[in-house]
Amino acid sequence: MSETRTSLEIIAPTVAEAIQQGLEQLGVHSSQVSIDVLDEGSRGLFGIGARQARVRLTLLTPPPQPPSPLKAEPSTERVSLEEVPPTIQDPTYLRKAEQIVYRLLREMRIRAQVRAFYADQPGPSGEYPIQIDIRGRDLTVLIGPHAETLNALQYLVNLILGKQTGRPIPVIVDVEGYRTRRENQLRRLARKMAEQAIKTGRRQVLEPMPANERRIVHLELRNFQGVTTESIGEEPHRKVTIIPKS
Amino acid sequence: MKSLVEYVARSLVDSPNEVSVREVRRGSAVNVILRVAKSDMGRVIGKNGRVANALRVLLKVAAARQGLRATLDVEEPR
Repeated sequence: MSETRTSLEIIAPTVAEAIQQGLEQLGVHSSQVSIDVLDEGSRGLFGIGARQARVRLTLLTPPPQPPSPLKAEPSTERVSLEEVPPTIQDPTYLRKAEQIVYRLLREMRIRAQVRAFYADQPGPSGEYPIQIDIRGRDLTVLIGPHAETLNALQYLVNLILGKQTGRPIPVIVDVEGYRTRRENQLRRLARKMAEQAIKTGRRQVLEPMPANERRIVHLELRNFQGVTTESIGEEPHRKVTIIPKS
Repeated sequence: MKSLVEYVARSLVDSPNEVSVREVRRGSAVNVILRVAKSDMGRVIGKNGRVANALRVLLKVAAARQGLRATLDVEEPR
């Protein structure tokens, strides 16, 4: 089913080599893909702890699927992330989502700019979420302790948009790039704690985190040599545990 | 603050005309009381109170901007 594949992960000694290999495998030019560096890799100290670079290439316009005589496959069959075709990206949903956020901010007496677009990465469901960026001055109140306010806002926007459109559409709400910064911070933390787990031979338990943040940690360490990860405890106190492989 | 709760509730329920909100103010404390149709109670409360709690978080922020403290109660219609 390589025809339907729209993204590819490559591991190579350097980022540049990984991208080059990926483009060759897909047979496309670099302008036809979006490139995510998942791991820049590292030479390590004296060769200790060296990691290869990891990049993901996603086709911007997936090739049309050739009509297949096997089309009658049950539609309930689960497909892997790579094989999910991008969902129809309806611009009216973007406008609706923007309006909901504007309205909520107005009711909260917060002045800010709001912009909605479709994310270039599929979410956990395989669907491409609507991303809403809120920009303005003094917006820390919109984030709140442990992103409590931002998550509450995001949750309600998801519910209201779902009700308006009659179907669940994932929406990610971000304020001044907070989620991106937090993601990078979590990835660094994940690697640091994984190294700690290996060095000490003891499992490392991270702070309680919401599901989306735990997912970032699990994904970051999925291919990290020498550790496995699992989440323990009950919401909202679930924590990622990093376990050294014995 | 009343209109924030009203907007969210009306956006989530099946019977928006049966949504009513009142505010009871005591000093700097405001109690916002939301009432919806019985069949819509679940929609504004949510599993484990998740919807109501998210609304409480936004309400708290909105209130704080006016130097107030707000609480939210959801009432069943009589």
